[in-house]
Amino acid sequence: MSEKNREGKRTARERMREDRAAQEARDSRKKKMIVLGSVIAVLAVAVGVGVVVQNQRSKPDTPTASPAGAIGNKNLVIPDGPANAPSTLTVYEDPRCPACGQFERQFAPTIDQLQDQGKLYGNYHIVSFIDRHDNGKGSKNGANALACAQDAGYFRAYHDVLYRNQPDETVDSWKDKSQLIALAKQVPGLDTPAFESCVNSNKFGSWVSAVEQDFDKSGYTSTPTILLNGKPIYPKNGNDEITPDNLVKWVNEANAGKTPGTTGSASASPAPTSTAAETDPNQPVPPAAG
Amino acid sequence: MASQQHSPPSRAGGAHGSTAGERSPLRRVTDGPAAEWISTAARLGLAVVWAWAGLAKVSDPAVAAQAVRAYRLLPEGLVKPVGYGLPFLEIALAVLLVIGLGVRIAAVISAVLLLTFIAGISSAWARGISIDCGCFGGGGAVDASQTEYLQEILRDIGFLLLALWLVFRPRTKVSVDAWLAA
Repeated sequence: MSEKNREGKRTARERMREDRAAQEARDSRKKKMIVLGSVIAVLAVAVGVGVVVQNQRSKPDTPTASPAGAIGNKNLVIPDGPANAPSTLTVYEDPRCPACGQFERQFAPTIDQLQDQGKLYGNYHIVSFIDRHDNGKGSKNGANALACAQDAGYFRAYHDVLYRNQPDETVDSWKDKSQLIALAKQVPGLDTPAFESCVNSNKFGSWVSAVEQDFDKSGYTSTPTILLNGKPIYPKNGNDEITPDNLVKWVNEANAGKTPGTTGSASASPAPTSTAAETDPNQPVPPAAG
Repeated sequence: MASQQHSPPSRAGGAHGSTAGERSPLRRVTDGPAAEWISTAARLGLAVVWAWAGLAKVSDPAVAAQAVRAYRLLPEGLVKPVGYGLPFLEIALAVLLVIGLGVRIAAVISAVLLLTFIAGISSAWARGISIDCGCFGGGGAVDASQTEYLQEILRDIGFLLLALWLVFRPRTKVSVDAWLAA
């Protein structure tokens, strides 16, 4: 009898201990679930807030203002030369990119001539990705100044002046906007109070950002990217190295049998935003569209 | 080795002084009181990595999106959500690790994230595209001579080891976890 009683007490004590242990295990599991839940909630909220905040902070890919005469989807492209020329040269270049400077110093006279002969329609995408790689503001300021020059009708001349006076890639001289204005004095008629205020107020900043975002999505990853009628020709067209002579030859070959466009310097005034505005810069311009 | 029912490998040691004498020096380090200090260092180290990685990507959303796009793995519709959200995920992980809340789950997520990064970089390398990993800001296309895939992968493997240590030894000093357990 007493034996049995002792046994009963022992098991009751054991049971209590087991219950307590089970309760502790449940509590601990519950605590763990709460921690797990809060961790996942913190991460989910952070990501959600992040996406919303960054969406609001990111500049729109549609510009609020575009320079006069800009063409293409969202007016992101600066045209130079006759829109009715049989061939189109699409140029992606960054004001700070040294290879672009080399290209321009070597090819600008040839390209200007081809345009003035009515053979070639220049389509310029002024991108600004060097600022990301090397940090700085020179590409964006330079691109904005080029847009200001386009707005004033002096894109070609100012574009050629900028590349002739390009600073070393690692030196961000053009973060100082006064240098861009100083260079504008080399283009007779460009340096007006309107131009200076356009450069200083970063008037086409949203356009510059939109052009860069368009380049981001283009799939082209370096500058200069040069396309003749949509086909890359830099640094090589097939097996042939690009040279001024080869460029003339390729344009003439592409234009064979087609009517040249309007001759004369078309860069003196911005092209009217009429039919040209619908031209896709990546597509060849239909022959003799005009 | 003698049976050690006290310390299954997934449990952080520290309270099992009775068997310490039988342990190899390695076991003493991984299970002994020193382990909590090692874990604390790993936790704070990983927190610094995530904070650095996240903060570097926050400043310019367009750059972050382009870094993601450059891998050419995600459809355009996912490029921005990932580019915008990832830095905040990294910063949130850094915060959790600094305060030591849910260290094990934070370490598991860190490890998964790092494995994803390693896979992404390897895939870019294997496909022969030339990009910067954009791990600590920047990113996007670079010249073929400027790719650093091997260094980037080795660096991420180092971070992965920190995360894996914490998955198996999540107990650390001065942490919310320790405070909650007390």
